[in-house]
Amino acid sequence: MPPAEPVLAARDVTRRFGHRRVLSGVSLALSPGDALLLVGPNGAGKTTLLRVLAGLLRASGGRVERRGQVGMVAHASMLYDALTARENLRFFARLHGGASGGRVDQLLERMGLSARADERVGAFSRGMTQRLAIARALLSDPEILLLDEPLTGLDDASSEQVLAVLGELRARGRTLVIASHQLAELMGVVTAVGFLTRGELRAVEPTAGRDVAAITARYREVARA
Amino acid sequence: MRDALRTAWTIAGKDLAIEWRTKTALVSSLTFAVLVLAVLYFARDPTAVGAVDIAPGALWVTFTFAAMIGLNRAFLLERENRAMDGILLAPVSPQAVFFGKLAANLVFVGTVELVSLPVFILFYDVPIVRGLPALVGITAMATLAFVAIGTLLSSMVVRTRFAELMLPLLLLPFLVPPVVGAVQATARILADRPLSEVQGWLKLLAAFDIVFVTISTLLFEATLEE
Amino acid sequence: MMREKAEALARRGSLLTAVALLALAGVYVRALIFTPIERFQGPAQKIFYVHAPAAWSGLMAFAITGLLSVLYLWLRDRRADLVAAASAEVGLTFSVIMLTTGPLWGKPIWGTWWTWDARLTSTLFIFLLFVGYQVLRGAITDPETRARYCAVIGILGLVLVPFIHMTVYLFRTLHPDPVVLKPGSPSLPGNMLVTLLTSFGVFTLLYLGFLAQRYALGVLRDLNDEEAGRAVS
Repeated sequence: MPPAEPVLAARDVTRRFGHRRVLSGVSLALSPGDALLLVGPNGAGKTTLLRVLAGLLRASGGRVERRGQVGMVAHASMLYDALTARENLRFFARLHGGASGGRVDQLLERMGLSARADERVGAFSRGMTQRLAIARALLSDPEILLLDEPLTGLDDASSEQVLAVLGELRARGRTLVIASHQLAELMGVVTAVGFLTRGELRAVEPTAGRDVAAITARYREVARA
Repeated sequence: MRDALRTAWTIAGKDLAIEWRTKTALVSSLTFAVLVLAVLYFARDPTAVGAVDIAPGALWVTFTFAAMIGLNRAFLLERENRAMDGILLAPVSPQAVFFGKLAANLVFVGTVELVSLPVFILFYDVPIVRGLPALVGITAMATLAFVAIGTLLSSMVVRTRFAELMLPLLLLPFLVPPVVGAVQATARILADRPLSEVQGWLKLLAAFDIVFVTISTLLFEATLEE
Repeated sequence: MMREKAEALARRGSLLTAVALLALAGVYVRALIFTPIERFQGPAQKIFYVHAPAAWSGLMAFAITGLLSVLYLWLRDRRADLVAAASAEVGLTFSVIMLTTGPLWGKPIWGTWWTWDARLTSTLFIFLLFVGYQVLRGAITDPETRARYCAVIGILGLVLVPFIHMTVYLFRTLHPDPVVLKPGSPSLPGNMLVTLLTSFGVFTLLYLGFLAQRYALGVLRDLNDEEAGRAVS
């Protein structure tokens, strides 16, 4: 049951692009430690919803409430190819008000990038870029972390690492919203699954005590309705 | 306020570090500037038109067009991996972001001007020593004007398919007051006229700067994706 | 905005335009036949009765585009954007009239079709600015982004115009001094003044008629897009 003051809430959020309605009446409320997985077909509005939750897009109707900083990992890395990993992190750290070199090194270590910290990001593999993007998102130790398809294109080793980090964050009381097709891999990390179809959040199912098959069946039910 | 300055400084520093590493825009601009100065020198009948007569115009055409080559660089950079989203997720004000971009662009254009000026003096053989401080002042004022507007416009045009074409198209009308003012003032300085003669132009330049830097800063937020 | 209201506005706009065009014909007649010939410039001076009001209408159109741009950014009301865009298109038309009648007047008096005098030059640049507005409008597909970006240009343009004008006064120019808008009483003799002011009035009506039609067209187009969008989803 959500407490009186959720850390991230959407109240009847609508978003239009021109005349097309991409999100309709989306409502959700998350507390610290919640991790919501958003599933739905392509074009359902998952990316748009994440951007609205992050504050990068304005909601056309309704509103979003945030209590705390937001970090985001998206399709695009939000990094500068011409700079090194360390320079990238230092830049964003400074924007967040802290030039703490310690935090930068700590994150590079945690994401397994210390060895390549002084190489240009342009030369990184997809897995390394994704890990660096996560490091960037975690620089300010945000209360809320939004991830758009975080495991896509990653090899097993990188995937494992990312899942481990997400599990840690949840354990530390951070709130996560993840948009992904990969229900099976993420089942262990999330606390609830939301079904987004054609801009509507049809249902939010807690994962406690259920397996992938049960959730998938429920999803099919909701999608048919 | 201090935060805004720190943000602007950080962003400008990053922009310049990246430009320094790749140097593509800088080299293009400088080459272009030298070429334009040379072509304009030769594009006249030397027995009828003295170099000193076309000098102010040549200088300012060179400055403005060479600058336009580099202006889009600032925001194209941010589009690559949607780094601008990363910047906007941080607690920064849009005005600070604009100042950072403006500062980086000013350094860029200033560098081009600094390098082209001796070339100009050399090619056109203009008597410049006594009027140099005044010339520098006027250059600074006019440059601030079109770089501020150019920075604002480029944040919009980089989103279109023809950014390189749209920027000059939109920016050129705004060049009229500052460039006319700068050319008039430059001509008088080169002719060794007293500065009091160009008071009107200087006032125009100063007013233009104040108004347009302010407006550009305020309007920048409207150009960010919402 | 309902379809019926938009169509009614379009009809009223067409009517106003038709009336204004008739009145314009009347002005021509008056200017050519009933207004005396100016002593120094001869019959060619009569183009002034079309040129100056068109210039005024053009400037008014740009001012309105600018003001509505401010309104749009403040209120984010789509209608403000539609009026601004309609005004920009109409203003573009008037400035084309200005740029063609200017040389026609100039040739007999100055001996050349085009002079780079400051006022003609600044008119040209304002025209180009609004070509830019239209090009920008065409280059962006998302209506909300398009409205925002055009509003930015509209506001910048509005602020630019006084500076262009100031540049004019500082730059010694071939263009005749403004006869009506300078401080002190207008220096046109009574008869010519009446023709001129009537022409101003007519051009204002013409502007409003065109504006109403173009705005209504914009609204209808918007409604069509909306219905098309709904039909697909």
